[in-house]
Amino acid sequence: MSARTWIGVLAIVVVACTGDPPPPVVQAVTLAAVDDARYWAPDEGRTFPARLDYANDAGVLTTLNLAGPTETKGHAFFTPLGNNSRACITCHQPADGMGLSAATANAVWQVRGASDPLFEAIDGSNCPDLPQADAASHSLLLRHGLIRIERPWPPIAADGSRVEPEFTIDVVRDPTRCNRDPSFVSVYRRPRPAANLKYATAIGFAFDPKNGMPLQTDPVTGKPGSGNLLADVRALSLEGQAIDALITHLQLHGQPDPQQLREIVDFENQLYTAQSSHEGAGNLNEAGAQGGPEFLSQAAAGVLQSSANPIWSEFFPWKMLQPPAAGTTDPGFELRQSVARGAALFSTKQFLVSDSAGLTDTGFGNPVRNSCAFCHNMHRVGLDVAPGQVDLGTTNQPFASLPVSRTTAELPLFRLTCARDAAPHPHLGRIVYTSDPGYALTTGRCIDIGKITAQSLRGLAGRAPYFANGAARTLREVIDFYDRRYSIELTDQEKTDLTHLLEVL
Amino acid sequence: MFRVSTKQRAARWLACTMLAGCAEASAQQAGAPPPPDSTQSFVTCPVYRDTDMGRKSGCWLADDSATATRYDVTWAPIKPQVGKPLLVEGVVTSEADTCGGVVLKPVRVSVLPGSCARSIVPPESFPGRPSPPPGEVLKPASEPRTLPPPPYEKREFQIYFEFGRDFLIYQHAEVVLEKIQLYVQASQARSVLVQGFSASDLVIRSGRFLTEPIAVAKARASVVALALHRLGVPDGVVTTEWHGSPSTTDLEGGKLPESSKRRVTITVTP
Repeated sequence: MSARTWIGVLAIVVVACTGDPPPPVVQAVTLAAVDDARYWAPDEGRTFPARLDYANDAGVLTTLNLAGPTETKGHAFFTPLGNNSRACITCHQPADGMGLSAATANAVWQVRGASDPLFEAIDGSNCPDLPQADAASHSLLLRHGLIRIERPWPPIAADGSRVEPEFTIDVVRDPTRCNRDPSFVSVYRRPRPAANLKYATAIGFAFDPKNGMPLQTDPVTGKPGSGNLLADVRALSLEGQAIDALITHLQLHGQPDPQQLREIVDFENQLYTAQSSHEGAGNLNEAGAQGGPEFLSQAAAGVLQSSANPIWSEFFPWKMLQPPAAGTTDPGFELRQSVARGAALFSTKQFLVSDSAGLTDTGFGNPVRNSCAFCHNMHRVGLDVAPGQVDLGTTNQPFASLPVSRTTAELPLFRLTCARDAAPHPHLGRIVYTSDPGYALTTGRCIDIGKITAQSLRGLAGRAPYFANGAARTLREVIDFYDRRYSIELTDQEKTDLTHLLEVL
Repeated sequence: MFRVSTKQRAARWLACTMLAGCAEASAQQAGAPPPPDSTQSFVTCPVYRDTDMGRKSGCWLADDSATATRYDVTWAPIKPQVGKPLLVEGVVTSEADTCGGVVLKPVRVSVLPGSCARSIVPPESFPGRPSPPPGEVLKPASEPRTLPPPPYEKREFQIYFEFGRDFLIYQHAEVVLEKIQLYVQASQARSVLVQGFSASDLVIRSGRFLTEPIAVAKARASVVALALHRLGVPDGVVTTEWHGSPSTTDLEGGKLPESSKRRVTITVTP
């Protein structure tokens, strides 16, 4: 791969060590070194070290490999196991918080074009039958970091049984031209990080209040599933997710080898990723703060935040910092104070949450006064302990048409019509226009149309764009979306503080 | 098993209609203050008053047009939804008015199908009140459970529902379900009878005819049986039934008789 085509990467250091404090300063290196170190292609045979640091626009993102250096040659996570040249690592890049940024997709395209496994026709293009050498055929991946997800219709449950859906699907428009077979639905989603997974699989409570039922048992493991994996919960365990990914993204025929499956899941479970330093605020585990992946790897998972024990309190010590001496300035002080304010705002800035299926139709009332921490309530990561299938309006009209939703015109638009004897979508009625039915593609229920599982907020600075459909280009746009969606009326300073908080996670 | 023919149902409806609202709960005159301890039941469009006393606060108000009385239904364990009709059943108390309505407590509400005006009003001069904490909450999964001690005798549990729904209500149902699961485990129960009930007898509230079909009773029984299955109660000991025209229970000391009909009764026999 050419060294000179990476975009926006100025500095990087790869440190193979464990147990030591993070390096205080990001070390500038040549672009050639950046090129080799940054992108992990399948089957390279590199050693995955105990610690990886990668620069991004906000600072440095660090991934810890708790098992220590791991040889990737022949390792199931790094090896193409299916009938294409993909491996798990293709879409779960360390520099991108074990997810995939649109910037990385662009950089790979610039160097390798359609020949890179990332752009496999099956789901790395808008549709497999488009001319694959043409960048326009991969526009959703290149512009928004979106991978095609093809779901069977009607749905098939995790245990293999057929689900009788409560609604029909009509294609209103489809710029991708990939929704012509009515037995499948193609939607486009961002890859989720394959790290910090003890949080995503943690079971805080045995009961899911949004579904009004105890948690489901995963047919693969026989254990209860957290319900926090995948946008539409089509798998209930890491094993189930890996099987789904191997069959759909890697085009594996048949079932994966159990030992390879174990190797993938074990590897994922030993990875922790988070921003470790911020270009303005410095190291994130200094002056009493507990940012960075080390603390993340050590904390208990599945803990519900509360007023007495608010989320992101690991940054509250920065409220108490002494200001710089009179006549001097300290940008680090200002940034740290801003992060601390953002951390507090996250759970204290209240607004009326309205018309959000999964929340406002489950007994809390519509509207209900709460904060960002209403949904993002799991300590250290901001997942939803409950678990988190909510229709925030990122895919359903009319909210998906808000100005910051940059993907609306490029995605398919479906009209879903609910049967008369079915409970309709609680806030949108019997006919819903959506670019992604979300959880309803798994359950077949009208009440689930547009519900998307809440995501971990860790490592955000490394994996733009945001939301499951890449609708927000920057973290500020995420804040802007919520501000408009719920009429929060945040001040510019509050938006800045919240953005800084998200940058240091 | 309850069975009712279409002809019987029509006859019952006609009889009620001709008696000019025989099943209407309130005999209160418009403008008169509601009698203390009286049970009020009506259908209305809810009003949300945007008071700020912390998370999940805010007042829920419900106007009974028959008596021109505004009630405060904020104590209901589940909350209304603006823009959707609301069935209210509650008891008048003398509790201080902090929301702008006569306080009903205890009170249950049900969100009904259909639509009505979306009403959100400012706090005006009302402070509101903090969100009332639930009486009992489910412990985190990480905390060990203690099995109930003997003696193990036949025991009944009740799970209540909104009108017309089979949705297990958060901060009520899950606590009861866990108690059942632990009691079944501790007592090595031979039988778990799940009886779903629907309030199938016609009542009229605010001119609206309300009756739950028997299918709702079946759905309630099924959803509770599935929940017990997911909690590990052996399928082999569980039997489901469903019935209409149920008796009432002592929900809130027997003060909410109509609400108590919308339930599932679970009988565990060691």
